[in-house]
Amino acid sequence: MRAPFTAADWAAIYPVGVLTAAALLVLVADLFSSRREQRYGSVGIALLGVAGAAYLAARQFGHNHDAFFGGFIVGGFAAVFQEIILIAAAGSLILYASIGPPQRVAGTTAIMLWSTCGAMLMAGAANLLMIFLGLELLSLGLYALCAASDRRAAREAALKYLILSSTATGFLLFGAALLFGATGSVRLADFVNPAFAVNPLYWTGAGMFLIGLVFKLSLVPFHTWTPDVFEGAPLPVTAFMSVATKAGTLAVFARFIYAALPATIAQDVLLPVWIVAGVSMIVGNVGMLAQTDLKRLLGYSGIAQVGYIIVALAGSTPLGLRYALYYLAAYAFMNLGAFAVAAAISGEAEEGAHLSSYRGLGRRRPWLAAAMTAFLLALAGLPPTAGFLGKILILATAVSNGYPWLAALLIVGTAISLYAYAKVIRAMYERPEGAEPSDVRPFVPLAWLSAGICAVAVIVMAFYPLTPSNILPLAH
Amino acid sequence: MNPYGPVAIYLVVAVAAALLFSVVPGLLARAKPNAHKREAYECGVEPTSPVAGRFPIRFYLIAMLFVVFDVEAASFYPWAVQMHALRVFGLLEMIVFIIVLAIGYAYVWKKGGFVWR
Repeated sequence: MRAPFTAADWAAIYPVGVLTAAALLVLVADLFSSRREQRYGSVGIALLGVAGAAYLAARQFGHNHDAFFGGFIVGGFAAVFQEIILIAAAGSLILYASIGPPQRVAGTTAIMLWSTCGAMLMAGAANLLMIFLGLELLSLGLYALCAASDRRAAREAALKYLILSSTATGFLLFGAALLFGATGSVRLADFVNPAFAVNPLYWTGAGMFLIGLVFKLSLVPFHTWTPDVFEGAPLPVTAFMSVATKAGTLAVFARFIYAALPATIAQDVLLPVWIVAGVSMIVGNVGMLAQTDLKRLLGYSGIAQVGYIIVALAGSTPLGLRYALYYLAAYAFMNLGAFAVAAAISGEAEEGAHLSSYRGLGRRRPWLAAAMTAFLLALAGLPPTAGFLGKILILATAVSNGYPWLAALLIVGTAISLYAYAKVIRAMYERPEGAEPSDVRPFVPLAWLSAGICAVAVIVMAFYPLTPSNILPLAH
Repeated sequence: MNPYGPVAIYLVVAVAAALLFSVVPGLLARAKPNAHKREAYECGVEPTSPVAGRFPIRFYLIAMLFVVFDVEAASFYPWAVQMHALRVFGLLEMIVFIIVLAIGYAYVWKKGGFVWR
């Protein structure tokens, strides 16, 4: 028997392979390094691995290939999502250079690299089994990463995430089983036959599958775990979860709604999802108002931001997908930048997570405060940032696709969110009334570098609306 | 018959059997409780501690390591049976698998995972 796969199939998973090898190398190198080398050695190898994977994934852009019997499709769509996921991984891994005990850095960076592999598999997954494999690889690593801290809250977060996420996976798997039952295939491309649309099994399966995805995207009403888990998890893990998990799940979601649903019924099946996205934009932004913890605040913010991205997909037009990708990339830089600033003013105890430590930051660390202001303005969607342009594009596509009510909800949600983001900006620049945190944290080069790159990206992206056009078709 | 018919029948039988075994004895049997009947069953030995007691976390570690090596051994069987059919491809797959596992093994060993303390 010959090997069942061709060289091109293997080439499709080179980026994932490089990350896996880098993770193994991190573990081996950790065994032979001293205490002092452990931290920078692990982070350095991990970042090199991410850079290698990013190079290989970029080379695949524009060369569509159905690897492994159509189970894993690389090329445009997957490459763009993989790059965003790798940016998220790099932006989170870099924070380990200053956060957490050194003897734990190797294990956590290795697990984070494997989780990144899972998200990257999700980006290209085009059959139900591959989707499940990627999702589980991503989630299993995250359970351990959430718990990798000495704080009690971290363990609580890990347990909550484990239980709720497993429930969601159960939904997804049951839905996948019903879809297989209704269609007799695991390939998304085989689901588009309109003849299936009369089968109640198909509707139930698609519904449960979407519920599982919506849970992972933490949209209302499946959002309650997000703020708790974000608050409890260590800072780099929160940064990773807020971008990479959402990007991977959005890839599966987008591929499913574009490539697996018959066009005649797609908008009927998806109407509940659009409603859920609309409600999320309101609930997420209202939830932000009372928060005193940055990670919690960004958790609620993420609920609303994913809502915005889903609004771009409403109507399932190719242009909507391009705008969604643009906003996702911008969102990645905004969030990673905000977490980098939090890490730059944090010590071992993650003080930067508390909003009180931002009081007077404008005088103590003017550059960090300026960068943070840019990220918060971008999250709120104000010019001159990528968030502004992204929201304009999403509003335009929502109205032209016939979903003006979603556009209206987006505007209302944005108006509410302004108050929450502006509160942090005000705290950074206003004259202090009471005691101001006076200690200035030492200069953390890598976190500052990350914040700087993200700030430049958030501003520059506003003037170069890169919306990749050759990302379709998603499945054959 | 619909191909899912047997599944539906199985579902009905499973629910009925579960109800039969769990509910009916409670309705029919005469209850004569005493202290000894309420004890946890420990093969005739008197229980020395509550069943839901605490035990050291290292048991979990051992259990996890056991699962790793158990799965490793289990995944050798299908390869061994089909070794000649899979040829070099199967051999390379197995070598990669062993390398990944060996690195994990070395990591756990060096970090003191096998020390009973």
